[in-house]
Amino acid sequence: MSSSPTLAVARLAELVGEGHVITEPTELAGYEVDGLQPAAVARPGTAEAVAEVVRFAAAEKLAVMATGGRTKLRIGAPPRGYDLALDVSRMNRVLAYDPGDLTLGVEAGIRFADLDRVLAEKGQFLPLSPAFADQATVGGIVATNSSTPLRHAYGSTRDYMLGMEFVTGEGNPVKSGGRVVKNVTGYDLHKLMIGALGTLGVITRVNFRTFPLPHAQGTFLASCESAAAALALCRAIARSPLQPRLVEVVEPQAAQILSGGRATLPAGCWSVVVAAAGEPGVVERHGAELARMAQGTHAGAFAGLADKEESALLGCIREFPKHVMEFCPAATIFRISVLPTQMELLLEHARQVAERSQFTWAALVRASGIVFVALLPTAAAPLDGETLRRLAQAATELIRASSVPEIGGRPMIEWCPLELKREVNVWGPVRDDLALMQRLKKVFDPQDIFSPGRFVGGI
Amino acid sequence: MATSDKKLIRELEQILGKQGVLYQPQDLMLYEYDGSVEHARPDYVVFPRSTRDVVEIVRLANRYQVPMVGRGAGTGLSGGALARQGGIVLVFSRMNRILELDLENQRAVVQPGVVNLDLTRAVEHAGLYFAPDPSSQKSCTIGGNVAENAGGPHTLAYGVTANHVTGLELVLPEGDVIRVGGKTVEAPGYDLPGLLVGSEGTLAIITEITVKLSRLPEAVKTLLGVYDSVDDATETVVEITARGITPAACEMLDGWTLRAVEDYVHAGFPRDSAAVLLLEVEGLREAVEVHAAEISDVGVIPRTKLPATLRRIDEIGKSFGFQVGNIFHAGDGNLHPIILFDQRDLEQFARAVATANEIMKFCLEMGGALTGEHGVGMEKNELMPLMFTPADLDLMQRVRGAFNPSGLLNPGKLFPFGKGCGEIRVRPMPVSANAPGVSA
Repeated sequence: MSSSPTLAVARLAELVGEGHVITEPTELAGYEVDGLQPAAVARPGTAEAVAEVVRFAAAEKLAVMATGGRTKLRIGAPPRGYDLALDVSRMNRVLAYDPGDLTLGVEAGIRFADLDRVLAEKGQFLPLSPAFADQATVGGIVATNSSTPLRHAYGSTRDYMLGMEFVTGEGNPVKSGGRVVKNVTGYDLHKLMIGALGTLGVITRVNFRTFPLPHAQGTFLASCESAAAALALCRAIARSPLQPRLVEVVEPQAAQILSGGRATLPAGCWSVVVAAAGEPGVVERHGAELARMAQGTHAGAFAGLADKEESALLGCIREFPKHVMEFCPAATIFRISVLPTQMELLLEHARQVAERSQFTWAALVRASGIVFVALLPTAAAPLDGETLRRLAQAATELIRASSVPEIGGRPMIEWCPLELKREVNVWGPVRDDLALMQRLKKVFDPQDIFSPGRFVGGI
Repeated sequence: MATSDKKLIRELEQILGKQGVLYQPQDLMLYEYDGSVEHARPDYVVFPRSTRDVVEIVRLANRYQVPMVGRGAGTGLSGGALARQGGIVLVFSRMNRILELDLENQRAVVQPGVVNLDLTRAVEHAGLYFAPDPSSQKSCTIGGNVAENAGGPHTLAYGVTANHVTGLELVLPEGDVIRVGGKTVEAPGYDLPGLLVGSEGTLAIITEITVKLSRLPEAVKTLLGVYDSVDDATETVVEITARGITPAACEMLDGWTLRAVEDYVHAGFPRDSAAVLLLEVEGLREAVEVHAAEISDVGVIPRTKLPATLRRIDEIGKSFGFQVGNIFHAGDGNLHPIILFDQRDLEQFARAVATANEIMKFCLEMGGALTGEHGVGMEKNELMPLMFTPADLDLMQRVRGAFNPSGLLNPGKLFPFGKGCGEIRVRPMPVSANAPGVSA
């Protein structure tokens, strides 16, 4: 921290209140990011207090990281510095909710699980469905652009976020967007905050459009003998009039891992999971058409799941990274955005890279355009030199293979051991739009105090 | 603004040929208006054929320090395509090619001058369409849709243009060509396409657009609801939403508007009703049937701010001596109050602008936004301080500065005009001196 840490802590306590500044080493360990611990944690209770803390940090040139549920602090490149954690988890209120207008405004520190309950009481939901759903906060979900299996039907956060309030690197509280469903006034600065890993501002409030819970839901499972058969089935679904909520392909190793997490998936198969929702007739229709489609391919038959199996399976798919890392703490999980027609080739490359580097691998495909590939080193952390060398080479090869023009994927490594981050750029290849991103970073955070170094291109 | 510079004209002609440059007053007049009530005459109008042309025009504009404004079909309703401070208007009518159709992945790559509906026509044989459907879709261009983040009746279910754009090719004001986003659904880094869509031509000139194509629904049912009062109609909308039904479109016409429409196109609206609702439900047959039946059942239960808002708009109009007609996207609460006035009468014009400003202020007080789908442009820019604080606007202006440091891209739009350092004026737009039919 600054030249006089005691003074700084005293000042922080003035800003956020006595008892809301943490300096205990054991507690600070819980805020660690890539081996660095902050000198202090400030837990402001209001957006104004967040602004005050940021102004203080800017004056003292402290490196600040905003935290919420602290479930995704491992995402991103290792920070260049880390003096102060700005924990917004006290800011956990629903500020405005109008079910009739389908609009919602919440503080950034509200837990997704708590919010989900509030919405469910009114027969509504948000399609965020993030990993680590029990602890994750709305601010963190937005800042990491946490992937949701429901994107198939609802799009991603940018599609249903209406507006935001955040604090810039100069400590100015600002807002962008609005609170109504339809609004194109001014620049959509809030979209820049999605997936920005807190490098542009500290999110204090997020406004969403909410959705009615469907009257009925059904989940169907088909087992295929190959990736090709499973992906062909997904493409057939895309060409059909069906409008499923979620279409995912679980690769055999991933199926085995998720089965450890209580999902029931047949062994040795590529499983296609389709969830339908809406009116009961719509769900039935999906069941019938999926069964017909499966006959026309080399896929096994589609079968409907019982309620209990359904929620276990969908829960496991949502928590894919969590289950993979429980199975293999050194797991290196790539998140690759890719067009549906290129998925088969990408998975083949992943298989070859894994084989060459002698790692077990697993994959989960979000049919709307995201492939998660996990390389699974059996060695314990910290990785030994030989394993690390092999892992770094495999990661480099997979990033290169997924970015070649024939595949056109946009890869990043979402989860990996810290040692690997020192060898490989987790954000994938740098592109010519980096210059624009750097200019924006300068506008939002001119002193570079927010999460320095964690983002794309060293931002 | 500076009158045309012969040297600049010659240089523009070297890039585009004589056919690609207009500078005679009688030619420029055609580009001094759009769908809004504003007017502004450019000094030059050019017709680029390629990104390369755009780059050269931009470099030239920089050298001569003249403003640049992109224009599609000129159907916009906020003055976005008008050269408020003169300069060069780049018309994209010759960059109107569909560059790539990737039907299996549901993507299209288009030049900005492609007409919105032409894209749908090019892909509907495969059961696909381009979802944003502004009312001008037969003539408006996708470049214009992107600049203004256009909406339409079906945005209730499918979102505005921003929800359907995955990638852009930009020409920055210094002439650099940069691609942001792409065909994939996401990419690491800041969401630059999300920022650029709806930036009203103030950040970059967009030369190529990658869009999502949506699958045509299997079944569509259109319902007409007839009401004795506007309140009953709006309250029905609220109840439909509360039942968990999201119609694909939900439009309301008040009595005055529906009679005007009926007299003109004979659509079959009952002339003696106070309001009608036009609802469209679409999707799988099974869903459409259930939802259509349920909508027909809906009674009337009052809630939310829509009915009160409409009543107040009517009062404001009357207090200024105007009839205000209402046709609007009721499902998502996007209002289009229509003030009827004679633009040739300068006093009436000023009064109409004052009425509009009063309505906008009231909508903001109700927690609404300035614009749901038309953009801010030069029509609502002076009202921005009512919705945003000086700090909000300052950050937005610095973002503009990061892309457009010289301020040559579409100057005088989106932000309050007279805003200097920290000073923001709130006053209605000055009355245009060159309204049609008025001789000086």
